[in-house]
Amino acid sequence: MKLKSRPAAALISLSLAAVALAGCSEEASGGGNGGSGDGDSAACAKEDVQLLGQVRNESNPYEAAWLDGGDAFAESVGLEQERLTYDGDSTKQQDQITQRLAGDTKCLVMNILPNGDSDTPPIVEGAEAAGVYTVTQWNKPADMNVADYDYWISHITYDGVESGKQIGDALAEAIGGEGGIIALQGVLDTAAAKDRFAGLEASLEENSGVELLDQQTANFSRDEALTVTKTLLSKHGDKVKGIWTANDDMALGALEALKQAGRTDVAVVGIDAVPDALSAIEDGTMTATVSSDGPWQGGVGLAIGYCVAIGELKVEDIADEDRAFYAEQFLINKDNVADFSTPETDPADFECDNVFNRAVGPIS
Amino acid sequence: MTSPAEDVVAARPQPRRGVSLADAGPPIALVVIFLFFAVVNTQFRSLTNMQNMLDTAAVLAVVTCGISFVLMMGSIDLSVPGVMGASAIAVALLVANNRNDNDLGLIGILIAIGLGAAMGALSGLTLVFLKVPSFMTTLGMSAVGLGVATLMFNGVQPNITDEFLQGWAVNRFLGLSYLTWIAIGCIAIGYLIQRFTRLGRYAYAIGGAEEVLALSGVNVKPYKIAVFALAGAFYGLGGVMVTSQLGAGLVQAGDGYDFSAITAAVVGGTLLTGGRGGVLHSAVGVLLTVVLTNGLVQVGVNLYWQGGVQGLIVVVAVAAAVIPQRRRNQVVK
Repeated sequence: MKLKSRPAAALISLSLAAVALAGCSEEASGGGNGGSGDGDSAACAKEDVQLLGQVRNESNPYEAAWLDGGDAFAESVGLEQERLTYDGDSTKQQDQITQRLAGDTKCLVMNILPNGDSDTPPIVEGAEAAGVYTVTQWNKPADMNVADYDYWISHITYDGVESGKQIGDALAEAIGGEGGIIALQGVLDTAAAKDRFAGLEASLEENSGVELLDQQTANFSRDEALTVTKTLLSKHGDKVKGIWTANDDMALGALEALKQAGRTDVAVVGIDAVPDALSAIEDGTMTATVSSDGPWQGGVGLAIGYCVAIGELKVEDIADEDRAFYAEQFLINKDNVADFSTPETDPADFECDNVFNRAVGPIS
Repeated sequence: MTSPAEDVVAARPQPRRGVSLADAGPPIALVVIFLFFAVVNTQFRSLTNMQNMLDTAAVLAVVTCGISFVLMMGSIDLSVPGVMGASAIAVALLVANNRNDNDLGLIGILIAIGLGAAMGALSGLTLVFLKVPSFMTTLGMSAVGLGVATLMFNGVQPNITDEFLQGWAVNRFLGLSYLTWIAIGCIAIGYLIQRFTRLGRYAYAIGGAEEVLALSGVNVKPYKIAVFALAGAFYGLGGVMVTSQLGAGLVQAGDGYDFSAITAAVVGGTLLTGGRGGVLHSAVGVLLTVVLTNGLVQVGVNLYWQGGVQGLIVVVAVAAAVIPQRRRNQVVK
């Protein structure tokens, strides 16, 4: 942005100006634009829409693929996506959003990955005040109702219990329904880690022959997973037939530990479908993973906002269960890995009539 | 472990009796904790677990070896995650890998270590010439390193196919992985530098009383820069070792190693105020933290409790180690 000598004052006046601008433009536009929207909801011209995608960092293959999906959508409608990353730092994320909202927010669409649950409220409140169409993903406080907002269009997340259970079942099948497994949990105080592990517990109830020998946290980290797996292998030895991990990074760390221990008889499952995990599934060293389809997430968040901005969709017409929904996720194993190894977005998914096609149910 | 001669070198105006007592604390704690776990858990004292613990300690030992020199000088170094991340990605892209056609082998490894040393030197230069406190310059250097690493990463994980580097983590000599032998080598080299070179002895002296050193006509600036460069080289090697272990170059290769290394060094008896401790102390500290982490898993402490229990034991161990000094200093900052 611009250099400001007195940031606070400048920010306030800028955001005031932005609000005023947004207000004027809403009154002014409406009839002449290409969009089919009319009446009270202001429609933007297609070429005036600004697209913004924000994730933690591009050094994470999943999040990099997310932004690439956003680029693919932007290109398909002849626009460019503004790529923002905040290094997993909540303060930095808020700063970026505040700064961006202080700039030109006319017809702005944001597809945001909030760092944690508590980071969502200030973002959507700010966007609401500035009249910015916003889609959030993964993290939101449970008691926040998206339908209470006019510009926070939708919140997309995935049922961690379901994915944890899917790979738990796949692991049980891979070891023949019989034997000991160890579990590597994620960062213990995150919803993702809790839900995924709850899914494993549900799977264990159904597969009574599978015994959970031990569970440890490796904080979603490849490096920690390597160390923890080595320790657990030396603790339980040959009793370990399978390793359940709450994400693929830990699965890859576990695979390295198995390699260093010279074990080839242990099945490993993870979640996220990062490229290395997919190639490990392809060559048979890993059993299964679950994909949320990062490129789709990056594209669809922008597509939803874009459709509302140009007036093809109206916020009040979107069903309540589509305002906050669980999206479909896919179990990937040796049989279907080829379909996922080159992540591509399907433009048809981003048509305004199809953007909610992958919703599998409202967030409970 | 402890050597009285070390204290003569450092030439500190402190009673030697207190010093040796403080130096003996961490090794005694190590032995006590080790024996405790070995008695209560059969799996802990198995040969495979001994190997496993030493292998696990390797990377942390190398990083801690580097950071010890900086701490001895009374500075602090938070650049570990950045330097390790940059060297990890650099080495993964320089040896045989799936991203490009490079196949530099050992030369690639040396370049990555050199990159670490260069970044360390840059931290040192900023500290000495721009008078930015080491806390800030190294924190900034960490961010720079992570930025460089992210640029080189470019969205696609570089996986190494170089058999020489992969072999470091897999091949064994006398029951220990090559990585462990490299760590042992680093500790030996670190000790020799600390004990027998001007660089090592001045690092001590700078931490003990920089003014005195300056007044006696020693230009401390080049030594400060050299210490940071030396530490950077160790972190660079640490990044290379993580890459060997994981089979891939990760931007996050050094995540958490900054504070684990500082913790290990302090637990081993290296003071954050400088002038005390050293490479061997740090090695003991590394073993202590590794034994603790491993032991808690082996005896089956609930995972929700492990972090807290580990922290508590570390605090108690440090408190026990510094009791003799506390009596002398009276001041705790």
